[in-house]
Amino acid sequence: MNVALGVWPARWTRQQRSTATIAASAALLVLFMWGVAKPLSWLPDPIGPVAEEFASGTRVTVWLTLASGLSGIAIGVLSAVAKLAPFPPIRWAADLYVWAVRGTPLLVQVLFVYFALPAIVPGLQLSDFSSAVVALAVNVGAYNAEAIRAGIVAVPKGQTEAARALGLSPVQTFRDVVFPQAFKIALPPLVNNVVALLKDSSLAYVIGVVELSNVGNRLQAATFEPVPTLATTATIYLVLTTVLTRISGAIEQRLDVEQRR
Amino acid sequence: MSLVHPAPSPTAERPPLIVAEGVNKHFGAAHVLRDVTTRFYEGEVAVIIGASGSGKSTFLRTLNRLEKHDSGRIVVDGIELDDSVRNLDAIRREVGMVFQQFNLFPHLTALENVALAPRRVRGAPRGEAIRAALELLTRVGLADHVRKHPFQLSGGQQQRVAIARALAMNPKVLLFDEPTSALDPEMINEVLDVMKDLARSGMTMIVVTHEMRFAREVGDRILFFDHGELLQDAPVDEFFERQRNDRIRAFLGQITH
Ligand SMILES: Nc1ncnc2c1ncn2[C@@H]1O[C@H](COP(=O)(O)OP(=O)(O)O)[C@@H](O)[C@H]1O
Ligand SMILES: [Mg+2]
Repeated sequence: MNVALGVWPARWTRQQRSTATIAASAALLVLFMWGVAKPLSWLPDPIGPVAEEFASGTRVTVWLTLASGLSGIAIGVLSAVAKLAPFPPIRWAADLYVWAVRGTPLLVQVLFVYFALPAIVPGLQLSDFSSAVVALAVNVGAYNAEAIRAGIVAVPKGQTEAARALGLSPVQTFRDVVFPQAFKIALPPLVNNVVALLKDSSLAYVIGVVELSNVGNRLQAATFEPVPTLATTATIYLVLTTVLTRISGAIEQRLDVEQRR
Repeated sequence: MSLVHPAPSPTAERPPLIVAEGVNKHFGAAHVLRDVTTRFYEGEVAVIIGASGSGKSTFLRTLNRLEKHDSGRIVVDGIELDDSVRNLDAIRREVGMVFQQFNLFPHLTALENVALAPRRVRGAPRGEAIRAALELLTRVGLADHVRKHPFQLSGGQQQRVAIARALAMNPKVLLFDEPTSALDPEMINEVLDVMKDLARSGMTMIVVTHEMRFAREVGDRILFFDHGELLQDAPVDEFFERQRNDRIRAFLGQITH
């Protein structure tokens, strides 16, 4: 992502340049979510007339990804800590969770949250969108747990010792010393997980969420024109994954005070 | 107040700052500390020497409970080191430590490294903690480097930041575990000079080191460890000038060439 940083004035510090890249990419994403209908509407049939539907599908996909991505990171941090807990039953619970999620198809998990969970938990009512967010968050959380756990154990023991010797509590030691370093180490695999999540969010269509792939599939079926409809769908996904990768690349650079990359 | 002062005798009058009594430590089958008994007094500079693997680091680390001792008693500033967490936090506030590998926090600047513990542990307001940190970094000669991250500093500079970081908690005693062993030779003196200044200012210090000139110059007392045993505990001049133990003489001969 050095290319992205190259467009900013050279006298800016690396941190300023990566911050600018994050801001610019985020702005680009917002612009794309609401503005993509415009260029699509200029396209000939069958795309032009349904430009708004593509745009709204794009927004749903981005919201799905953001909501489940952020919760998935929180779940990943908690599970990683649980995996390293001194109390064995907590470790077992975390291991069980990761094992179950990684050993079953995401499709089954999405269906499970939508259909089976309300049957198990009486009174639980989740919309199709919320069900998809829960399933995706739980899914990506299990993969994030591994990445973050690996990051935590990669932080040298001397860091914890120095913090404890200064009188920091275990919680302060984790929050102020271990976690920031672990997160930086875990960032590249986390980014992979979130990009995968963006694509995996297409599975939400099986429970009726009208996200991007659902829009594409419906139009393809209605118009009998698979090439333009699916090509448009794929192109929008490509734009989204590219912007996402760019944002995370810039975040990586921001955290990389040692400027190794 | 009486006009006739008794001769200052560090062992008799003042209560000791740290008491170690019959301390034992095992790592698996290895008996790493064997019945270590000694006392450290306020204002004293005690230097610990001994061959590699003799238990110097382990002993130092039991004093702030980075290692638990198996048996015996360790009392720091009147507080016994046991499994009570409250005691532990109180102790660690009083006992600062400087490590061989510096162990600075790489994601924080020099200033943030020094200000972190006062802010978190003592709840010092940010501005106050930063001001105090600036003062300490100036004292160790790093006023021009406060905004740098550890990787931008030389080893000697990093170790001086680490000393400032330990001082920021206003500890009653500072533990040094081979503070110059990871340094290039040309950087050793800048760190030793800071430590000498500290010793002169009356700081209580327990220093594991192989720097015999430092030991002679600022040490009050030498503790010699041998296979986990505190083989000798003697005033500096006696230790170096009137050494009777053949093993220690051989060790000193090796280390000073
Ligand atoms: N965490 C540990 N686990 C197992 N053995 C250890 C550990 N730390 C130290 N030891 C062993 O204890 C002995 C004393 O080590 P140490 O206190 O580091 O010696 P010194 O600092 O005098 O070189 C050595 O034999 C060392 O291998
Ligand atoms: Mg050692």
